[in-house]
Amino acid sequence: MTTRPYFQLLPWIATGSLLALAWLGWKLRQAWAGLRAAQRAAQLERALREFGDLMRDAERPEAHAHELLQALTGLAGRPVAALLRPACGEQDVILGEPDANALAGLQLCADGGRALGPGTAHHAGEPDLYLPLRGRDAALGAVTLRGLGTVALPADQLAHAQALCDQMGLALQRRRVQDEARRAGELADLQSTRNALLAAIAHDYRTPLATIMGSASALQTQGDRLTPTQRQELAGRIVDETGRLVRLTDNTLQLARLGAPGVALRCDWESAEEIVGAALRRVRRRPDGERVKARIDPELPLLWCDAALMSQLLDNLVDNALKYSPATAPVELVVRRLGPEALFAVRDRGPGIEPAWRDRVFDAFQRGDLAAFQQRPPGAGVGLAVCRAIAEVHGGTLSLRPRGHGGCSFEARLPLRDAPALPELA
Amino acid sequence: MKLLLVEDDRELRVTLREALEVEGYEVLTAASLADAMAQLTHAGPLDAVLLDLGLPDGDGEALLQALRRERSTPLIVISARQVEGQKIRLLDAGADDYLVKPFGIGELLARLRVALRHRGTVAQPAVTLYRRAGLEVDLTAHRVRRDGVDVHLTPTEFKLLARLVRQAGQVVTHRRLLADVWGADATEQTHYLRLYMAQLRAKLEAEPAEPSVLLTEPGVGYRIAEPG
Repeated sequence: MTTRPYFQLLPWIATGSLLALAWLGWKLRQAWAGLRAAQRAAQLERALREFGDLMRDAERPEAHAHELLQALTGLAGRPVAALLRPACGEQDVILGEPDANALAGLQLCADGGRALGPGTAHHAGEPDLYLPLRGRDAALGAVTLRGLGTVALPADQLAHAQALCDQMGLALQRRRVQDEARRAGELADLQSTRNALLAAIAHDYRTPLATIMGSASALQTQGDRLTPTQRQELAGRIVDETGRLVRLTDNTLQLARLGAPGVALRCDWESAEEIVGAALRRVRRRPDGERVKARIDPELPLLWCDAALMSQLLDNLVDNALKYSPATAPVELVVRRLGPEALFAVRDRGPGIEPAWRDRVFDAFQRGDLAAFQQRPPGAGVGLAVCRAIAEVHGGTLSLRPRGHGGCSFEARLPLRDAPALPELA
Repeated sequence: MKLLLVEDDRELRVTLREALEVEGYEVLTAASLADAMAQLTHAGPLDAVLLDLGLPDGDGEALLQALRRERSTPLIVISARQVEGQKIRLLDAGADDYLVKPFGIGELLARLRVALRHRGTVAQPAVTLYRRAGLEVDLTAHRVRRDGVDVHLTPTEFKLLARLVRQAGQVVTHRRLLADVWGADATEQTHYLRLYMAQLRAKLEAEPAEPSVLLTEPGVGYRIAEPG
């Protein structure tokens, strides 16, 4: 038995070592690849978490759609496009300029709520991948990764892409639910305000109606037993109270008109002196009309306003002032310039209005609180509400100021504009 | 005197007809525009038409045109507040005057009286001499007096005053005044009117800030008070 020299073993040792090294290398590579995969998975998970955080705090998730698209482009290196359906009845949001074909695919994917294209169970032969933005019970949009061809994304990337999309979908759905709840709340508020408004106006109609009914039925049933003077008085009362109803109706209609969006005014260059002059002529026909004293600054420039509306404003304020102040006290109508504005003030010597009511008199019945409405100070009806609306549609204001020696000053301020040049007098 | 009353509401139609008949007018009625157009062709000459706007079958512009083609029969527009724009369009197109619903019978009779006085006088003004509240305007002599004293007016002031006097008692829209006094290309220059009306009032009214003769119809036009 000869002892083999060690060198004879060398090839084996070398081979063994090489094998061991190769094994080690393979193991190392495997470990390295595992590490890389783990790293990548961690990266994807982090990206997913970050995007999730972003979506959770987003008031308008659709505003972050480009971040979603960026993430998807980073993932697959392919151009992307998206279709978002943020709310019922609102227009779809489209990003990334999809062509008609892609848009149809996005619609189909969003409608069906399932992924289409390579690597999925549907339309796997198509070159583009479509992923739905899934909410809890429906898709709220879709994205597409274009030009993948027949090469499907690796399963983990596909899952990651879908997870990103679902976060967007859930956020959109949350927002939609919030919107619907808010809208339902607003509708309920509107309904209750409208009901209060109707009740308040109907309430205001009853008084003149009662007088008209009483007078007219007296004429009807007792006509031949009444003296001519009595008959004349009853008829006069019917005419007066009808006038009150007319004013109430005009105010109510005007309030509704001015409250509508995009109301069209009939503005022109108007002279405050003329508008006041016409209002005075109307008020002088009343038995107590002489109480109104007018002072108009003759230097006031022309106003850009709707003359019919401004007349209605003055009529209402003067009517209130006459009605709710002592029969002997004067009512002042003052028009003058106040810096960049024109001031229309109607001042009475009535009992004044309590501080708590000073701002609320203008919308006493619009607050939806009928009990408070019935406690309102006299005169706080639809007339004052329409006055404020008129001032506001002109870009102005209407406010109430208590006067030094008692009474109220209702003050409308209208912004002045540069009046056009006047012709040479001829 | 034969009138045509176009009003779709039955109650108001009956009430107005009775009130007008008490005053001695013969009243034909129509409940729609189509009905009114038919009456216009078959009823023979009319003295005036009262036309309610907001009829179920259209606005009254066609009726006004048909009426004006044949004769200068006065037309008074009856309007609700909601059809303000339509009312002004008809006035611009040559309607004589307007009433806003609801109105009193006294007001209706006054408007009608003025309209009938101007009947058939588009070419030849009925009023050449106007007198009211110390004011005297003589269109033929080109003279204006207040309390017996001659008042000097500029040519434009006189033209404007004369235009109002020619239709004394009736409203004249901004557009028509501007077209007739300054010319067809000045119909948007409402501020001219503000200036000249203020001038006229300063010269002619006892209290210019509270005019009793040269009256403003806010958003529509001007009216010189009925003479008397």
